[in-house]
Amino acid sequence: MTDWSKVFEVFSSGIIGVFLVMFLLQILTQLSTRVIDFVENGKNGGAPEAVPVPKSSADPAKD
Amino acid sequence: MLDILKELLFSSGVVSLTGGNLVMWLVSFVLLYLAIKKQYEPLLLLPIAFGILIVNLPLTYLMEPEHGLVWFFYHYGIEMDIIPPLIFLGLGAMIDFGPLIANPKTMLLGAGAQAGLYVTFFAAVLFGFDLQEAGAIAIIGGADGPTTIYLTSKLAPHLLGATAVSAYAYMALVPIIQPPMMKLLTTEKERKIVMTKLRPVSKLQKVCFPIITAMTIMLVVPPAAPLISMLMLGNLFKESGVVERLSKSASNELMNIVTIFLGLSVGATMTAGTFLSPKVLFIFFLGLFAFIVSTGAGLIMAKIMNLFLKDKINPLIGAAGVSAVPMAARCVHKVGSEANRRNYLLMYAMGPNVAGVIGTVVAAAILLQNLG
Repeated sequence: MTDWSKVFEVFSSGIIGVFLVMFLLQILTQLSTRVIDFVENGKNGGAPEAVPVPKSSADPAKD
Repeated sequence: MLDILKELLFSSGVVSLTGGNLVMWLVSFVLLYLAIKKQYEPLLLLPIAFGILIVNLPLTYLMEPEHGLVWFFYHYGIEMDIIPPLIFLGLGAMIDFGPLIANPKTMLLGAGAQAGLYVTFFAAVLFGFDLQEAGAIAIIGGADGPTTIYLTSKLAPHLLGATAVSAYAYMALVPIIQPPMMKLLTTEKERKIVMTKLRPVSKLQKVCFPIITAMTIMLVVPPAAPLISMLMLGNLFKESGVVERLSKSASNELMNIVTIFLGLSVGATMTAGTFLSPKVLFIFFLGLFAFIVSTGAGLIMAKIMNLFLKDKINPLIGAAGVSAVPMAARCVHKVGSEANRRNYLLMYAMGPNVAGVIGTVVAAAILLQNLG
């Protein structure tokens, strides 16, 4: 016999949980990059290295 | 002389062959063909196919607990959770999180695609699978082989072969499965959107990212620790730039060695008794469903985000939220460039693509927390 209350609990807690964790990670990433930008730009007075946007079809990563 | 020959024949595996063994040979040959001739995920499918073949040769006892050679690989490598985290160590040493750090809001696309996984969980329960089996099947939608193997070995080890083969097969079929969904859920105008240039990312930011991510995820979802810690350690090796030897070893030699044991062990779980059941067909069907729904969920998430964003994102990159790195991102780029030849989406799609790896691990950890 399927425990439907458990199914709904797993379903909802899963979706909400993943979003919350990823949102938290997004906020922390944004915060840390801003702090580092502030520290580095204050120290060097220059812009950090840019993420290259490749012109070729070279793979950025391999699996 | 005749007696000796007769004795040899009756002590051989030939007389113990069953119809199920022959069917499994056929499955093995099909996978060998796909790996060698079609080159579908050959690094994994080849050892998996060979594992299937050798374990379906009678009287070899390769998977005999405490005795068989492959059983030791399986027991110490997969049952004791050694191999999937080591694969993640190598993966971390290969992944560039730069595009994700440059555009952190794409982290939500990695989360959006996981919604499909939970829809599949629901569907699998409706199909009659128990909760643990449904969890193991749903994770196929994350399009991440090691995470699928890790979670299945914890929740439903008897389904390991089917879920692993299903995950790797569909990952290889990303260029076939994803484009129709992308075109179905986006308009031509949306596919033509040119995104703003990615912000610069410094070395220090890249070094801090794996540390912050590991601490955050492991504090919030402790069951994610084995996979996320190794993924981020591998990435720290790469980004720190001070342990080039370790980084190269993790991404090459170690990765190759554990891939052999992983493939062989997974293949060896696929005996006729465990694999030849109607359930397996349902698993392949639900795996495909999971993949399609996850792709759709990522696309819809991107469209929802566009309702609130000033600088619009191309919704195609939402499809890269499944974690098939970098195939899903390449696929996004291809479909995007068909709509607008000057649009170069690869780097933008790499953000949600690597976020998908993290998202799948988090989703698996939450499933494990609830069902383990």
